[in-house]
Amino acid sequence: MENKAKFLDRLKTFPKRFALGIFHFFMRLIFGIGRFFKNIYLAAKNHPKSFISGLLSFFLIGTGQLRNKQWYKAIPFFTILLIFVLFEIFTSNYIYAISGEIQDYPAQDGIFYFFRDYGGFLTSGLWGFFTLGRLVLGDMYRGERIVTYDRVLTWKSADNSQVLLGEGIIALVLVVIFIITWIFSIRDAYQSHKTFVETGKVEDVKTFFKRVWTDYFAYIIIIPSAILIFTFTLIPFLFSFLVAFTNWTERISLGQMLFKWTFFDTFKMVFTEAAWLKFFTDVLSWTLIYAFMSSVTVYALGFIQAMIIESKYVVYKKFWRTILILPWAIPGVISLMLFRNVFADNGGLLNQILVQFNAVESTKSILSSLGLVNQVDPGNILWLTSPANGSLAKILVIIVNLWLGYPYFMMLITGVLGTIPDSLYEAAEIDGANAPQKFRYITLPMVLRATAPVIITTFTFNFNNFGAIYFLTSGGPGYPIDQIPEAVRVLGAQPGQTDILISWIYKLSFGSANDQYNLASVYSILIFVFISLAAIYNLSKLKSFWEED
Amino acid sequence: MENKAYKMTFKMKVSRFFRTLTLKKFILGLLAQLWLIMMALIVLTPVLWMISAAFTNGTNLTQVPIYPKFSQWSFANYQYLFTYTSSTQAGALPDYVDSFLTTLIIAVASMVMVVIFSSLVGFSFSRYKFRGKKQVLLGMMALQMFPSFMGMLALFMFFRQFELLNKPLALALIYVAGSIPYNTFIVRGFMRNIPKSLDEAAFIDGASNLQTLFKIIIPLAVPIMGFIAVNAFMGPWLDYILPSVIMPQKITVAVWLFRFMNPLGSTYSPLRFMAGALFLTVPIMIVQIFMQRYLVYGLTAGAEKG
Repeated sequence: MENKAKFLDRLKTFPKRFALGIFHFFMRLIFGIGRFFKNIYLAAKNHPKSFISGLLSFFLIGTGQLRNKQWYKAIPFFTILLIFVLFEIFTSNYIYAISGEIQDYPAQDGIFYFFRDYGGFLTSGLWGFFTLGRLVLGDMYRGERIVTYDRVLTWKSADNSQVLLGEGIIALVLVVIFIITWIFSIRDAYQSHKTFVETGKVEDVKTFFKRVWTDYFAYIIIIPSAILIFTFTLIPFLFSFLVAFTNWTERISLGQMLFKWTFFDTFKMVFTEAAWLKFFTDVLSWTLIYAFMSSVTVYALGFIQAMIIESKYVVYKKFWRTILILPWAIPGVISLMLFRNVFADNGGLLNQILVQFNAVESTKSILSSLGLVNQVDPGNILWLTSPANGSLAKILVIIVNLWLGYPYFMMLITGVLGTIPDSLYEAAEIDGANAPQKFRYITLPMVLRATAPVIITTFTFNFNNFGAIYFLTSGGPGYPIDQIPEAVRVLGAQPGQTDILISWIYKLSFGSANDQYNLASVYSILIFVFISLAAIYNLSKLKSFWEED
Repeated sequence: MENKAYKMTFKMKVSRFFRTLTLKKFILGLLAQLWLIMMALIVLTPVLWMISAAFTNGTNLTQVPIYPKFSQWSFANYQYLFTYTSSTQAGALPDYVDSFLTTLIIAVASMVMVVIFSSLVGFSFSRYKFRGKKQVLLGMMALQMFPSFMGMLALFMFFRQFELLNKPLALALIYVAGSIPYNTFIVRGFMRNIPKSLDEAAFIDGASNLQTLFKIIIPLAVPIMGFIAVNAFMGPWLDYILPSVIMPQKITVAVWLFRFMNPLGSTYSPLRFMAGALFLTVPIMIVQIFMQRYLVYGLTAGAEKG
């Protein structure tokens, strides 16, 4: 009871705490900036000589280190600078600009087109990132009509926003990396000179590298992984995240390779346009039901199986366990595709069995009296494909997930059951407890406590369980045609009745001819927010995660 | 000692069973066995049907008998799988074998790299205190929650631009980057349980960081690394979505198989799919069943330690 009151109280005060949190964040930001400048001022005032080293590195990266007589630090900094400058120059067309080709520049909408035409990877990348391109095929530009997507002579080609955004992000990341290195070099020049003044000694090469190797070992062994995650996960995610704030779909579907920053327009559309809102609420509610039901059923069946196999009434425990574990040993994708065949309309195992036992009509009538089968066409039951049998398909999706998922929990709970001390049960027996009481007051609480985090992880996993839907039903059956709002009927991006958010996102991004990529991004962000709430809740329960020893 | 010496024979077990048999025990035992038989049927029927379909000569599901008829079994599907060579691959290996090898390269490469990288990162996070550690951990947690294929379009574009499409090792790098965060948590959870006094003793004896890692921690962490290795191999082994985008020409075995399952395609043949899938499943099944206890142990270890 106390917990419930506490929870409600926290829920009530949530908006207040949320607002306070944001306020706190901004105050910290402002004070942080203030403290930054104060520190610089103090450094200049208290250690003017060391400050000069920092200042030198500020104007030309690495010179401060030279002044400190630390050539082994200056060389890497110079090399980095050189790499960036050469990279910019060799990817640019500055040579054309210098050779006199440059004329008066169109500067429409306050945009300076010079970097578009002549800039190197970094500058033209930044240009592309902020503008996302302006010129489409057929536009007049500098006295010529644009007719191609030419990658070499950039000024004669139309802009492709997808490429510009991609290159822009890479350029932005590179520039940020450079700036961080720069700041680092300034700090280092100042600090090294300070230690030099204090101790009167300059570290020689050998001791420096040895010190770095031992003191920063924790960082050094992370670096390769960090680079991998950065390039193959973070930057692509950043791209997708940013697409949510563009009007990708509108323009790409018109055949132009150009889109714009529209900021929150897509978010607004998702929540205000009735057609999209209907689909979103439908899909979201099914996603929640699916995630909840599949986790609960899997857990319950796993629990029951573990109890039965471990009970004293069962002989040949090992034999049964090996058979019942089988679904776990088969790769999930294969099982799902297998079940797609089991439920196939013609020749599927289930329909074949029904035909064999002459039970098609009776099964159909039972299912239709439950309201699950409403199909008009005679013959075999259309388990997963008839728009009229939507709820049947949904139930089957959960059942198939149950088939796939229970062995894991069976094994998990079997393991937990083994850890419950027998003395507990013996004590309960002496106190006169019967079997249900022993289950209710000993087994259940012990198992639940041990597996609680796993339940939440399973829920979040099922929330995003793309494969379970895609490989079994591909989201089908579709909605009956009269239930699809007019506004989205043409787009070919409607979800099916068993589509969960993640599989719908897949359809939106890769499914139809006109990629609804910004919509997909918006929904991904929503999923992310939802899942992270669940995960934060889970983490807050896990004390061991935060314990540092 | 006494317990060890006293071992019940089967006969003794049977006699004890009947001696202690009560009506309640009999009924409950019967119900439990019936339930288990029913569950076993539900589990085994689709699997047996799959095996039967794999060895049926034909292209349609309707040709698969409900009761397996061993006399009619044929290897026609397997013959097709292991001999079919498309015109685009003239002179090379049969398509299925080729894509099998491609997938093997991807899976093994990602397995090796995942084990190396995540044990390094896990070691760093379990043993050292440094600035930004909590933030990085939280960030990795958040990374796992973003739908993984959202980055796919960008990856495709970058790969096209840098001409990395159809390169198995480049694809393996994506898998590695994607699975480092999750595996790091597992390794970290495991390594935190290795007593620190071992490190300290090594430090006093003059061992360097690297020596501590390779001579002391890694040998003790072999079980968890085995778990990670199996997972890292399984992940790419039958992945479909990512290879279908990143490897449009040099297709993996999963992509190859799923072509048989597209009812609108010209290659639609569920029986061939069953045959190919069975071929891929059996080794994995054997590994999983034999390493059962070990794998579940890893799963719970990862789950409980966060």
